[in-house]
Amino acid sequence: MDTATQERADQIRMLRDSAADFVAGHADTRRLRERRGTLPGHDPAACRQMAALGWFGITVAEAHGGLGLGFGELAAVLQALGKGLLGEPMVATVFAARLLQHGANAALKQRLLPAVADGTALPAVAWQEGVGGIDAAAIDTTARAEGDGFVLDGRKRFVAGAAGANGFVVTARGAGGPGLFWVDASSFGVSLQHEWRADETPADVLTLAGVRVAAAEVVAAPGAPALAAFDRAFDEAIVLAAAEMLGVAEGALSMALAYMRTRVQFGKPIGSFQALQHKAADLYVQQELLRAVLDEAVAKLDAGIGGDERACVASRCKARAADAGLRITREVIQLHGAIGFTDEYDAGLHLKRALVLAGWLGNAAAHRQRFARRAGEALAA
Amino acid sequence: MATSETSAPPRRDWNALGDEAFRRAAAEFFAAHVPAHLRHLSRRPRWAEVKPWYLTLSAHGWLVPAWPVEWGGMGLSQSKVLVYLEELERSGAPRVMDQGLMNIGPLLIARGTDEQRRRFLPKILSGEHTWCQGYSEPNAGSDLASLRTEARIEGDEFVINGSKIWTSVAFDASHMFALVRTDKTVKKQAGISFVMIDMRQSGVKVRPIRNIAGHEELCEVFLDDVRTPLANLVGELNRGWDVAKALLGFERIWSGSPRQSMLALLRLKQLARAAGKLHDPVFVDKLAQVTMDVLDSAAAYERFAQIMRTGGSFGFEVSMLKIWATETCQRVTELMVEAAGDLGTLNGEVDVDGEAIDILYPFLDCRAFTIYGGSSQVQRNILAKNVLELPA
Repeated sequence: MDTATQERADQIRMLRDSAADFVAGHADTRRLRERRGTLPGHDPAACRQMAALGWFGITVAEAHGGLGLGFGELAAVLQALGKGLLGEPMVATVFAARLLQHGANAALKQRLLPAVADGTALPAVAWQEGVGGIDAAAIDTTARAEGDGFVLDGRKRFVAGAAGANGFVVTARGAGGPGLFWVDASSFGVSLQHEWRADETPADVLTLAGVRVAAAEVVAAPGAPALAAFDRAFDEAIVLAAAEMLGVAEGALSMALAYMRTRVQFGKPIGSFQALQHKAADLYVQQELLRAVLDEAVAKLDAGIGGDERACVASRCKARAADAGLRITREVIQLHGAIGFTDEYDAGLHLKRALVLAGWLGNAAAHRQRFARRAGEALAA
Repeated sequence: MATSETSAPPRRDWNALGDEAFRRAAAEFFAAHVPAHLRHLSRRPRWAEVKPWYLTLSAHGWLVPAWPVEWGGMGLSQSKVLVYLEELERSGAPRVMDQGLMNIGPLLIARGTDEQRRRFLPKILSGEHTWCQGYSEPNAGSDLASLRTEARIEGDEFVINGSKIWTSVAFDASHMFALVRTDKTVKKQAGISFVMIDMRQSGVKVRPIRNIAGHEELCEVFLDDVRTPLANLVGELNRGWDVAKALLGFERIWSGSPRQSMLALLRLKQLARAAGKLHDPVFVDKLAQVTMDVLDSAAAYERFAQIMRTGGSFGFEVSMLKIWATETCQRVTELMVEAAGDLGTLNGEVDVDGEAIDILYPFLDCRAFTIYGGSSQVQRNILAKNVLELPA
């Protein structure tokens, strides 16, 4: 291993350890239960501390007040946070920040990204509509040119992190196709309604009624570059969601293994029964597959690989995360028996976070189809 | 010199090359030397057919990647051995008699006596000795330690009685390394010895066993008052179980490589194209799933290969590789049979819109992958006990 590789590995290990320490100090499922069904859906105090540690700015350029590090570093932190069910709202925020980053508006980046890096702003992304789906171009929200700006009208749905957001990166259709627009949360014509996800965090419906966007707040004008910027930020976000999912799954499986070592039935620990051992071994295989494809995807993002190759590995990663994460957290309920079915036991919290992370940004079926479409000839070759 | 029987091959310090440079060198060598008529065979060729290729490898010093140079090997680092095997596979080279190269040779180098090394290693390089592995018995499969083939000592010889089964290509082997019982009074693992047996004697009978894919590669070997000198004991008497375990190092990662499922995927795509299935969205969805499964298998393999490359070590967690690689391979072949529809009922090479494709062979052949080398269930037991630390 050369020196640079070694230094990077050490850096990732240090971040992983520091995130694990943070989780050990902050993971508190009693407080998590108290937050259920409340706004903004995350713990603001914990977020401030994460921001103070620099985590919201890991992939934000140093010129914009961030750490300027890679996805390997951010994935390590998210994995640790996932284990303690403390991931919210980091992936949503980073998704928005990456859209700003890949957009064409340098002044807007200079204005907004430092606030993301220091945790004073938590932007969100409003891109889906109707019943959802991951085709970013399949939208009805319009961006009508007016003067040197735009007027947005439409209804966005499944907006994660909206309740605590200072503003939104919104997709809307202009004359040249979909574009990306910055909409401040306090803009005239913006309203939010909350829908509640499986883990009782909010995902909002964002209504845009004649919302004016000045030229200075156009992230990427309608056209192909805007969709390319979206595609890239989307790939980055789904890999990060997979990293959080790995942590959620690890937390669930280790909980089940601990239970299997101590729970006695028929005079023996239930972990000694081969039927349960083999089930646990299969879950471990899924967990390690997810770890492997996540490693590959993160390395490719950090290497700057683009286009269909990036889309394929990212979709493969999200599909495995969705399948493995749901399977592990579901089977962990079964391994516990009746206690796992109770609301007071933590296994259910892991299952519900997994339900959100599996479906949000596209579930396994959606990403299998995206993989097939983007692999194109390669799939048949 | 160990290589005195072969013409001295050109020596190179392959480890001085980077892995990618070595990969190119290996690919070039195999491309230039693998005989065209032996490439990409769907069966394992007989020794007589494949021996000239074996001797070509030997003459060029490319026969044994992992042995040290002093014994006629290439002296490759572990990571380059992996590259060698990957490129060998990619070239479509036929499988040779490799138990001597992969198993008994490295074992003698690590744990044999100098006399044993001098007596056996050169004859493996020259192709004079070909080896088979005598482990399983009719009543000792997954529970290998319960084996009953017995070796009693008479003077300076072992006299061996019993039978071995699932021995690959025993009919082409001149020698067998075997686990035999030398003490019946102790715990089963503690009474086993590791011996080398010359098969060219009258008490050895080999019966090929036809498998469900129609091939005769596995054998039953009957040992009736078979004699072997005490000097053919490897390691100490009654310590054969430890000797056999020491052999498992490399096999643990190689048996979990994605090569077989990648090959199965190529065959599936060939069928899909010929049968016009690539326009069927239900099939394409399933194809995407197994393709991702195979790529994830490769990603998992790569993680362990990377650990090996950087000089690290891993433990029993490597068992997850074989479970996923082999079960994925089976799913790929199952999808192939499903996609074939009526064609999937036909035996042997069948006409698929003008292309000859054997649909059932991959499906039948890969049933063995989850059985040999520690069955999928044994691998799960290993994970449960050693990695997940579940109680006994």
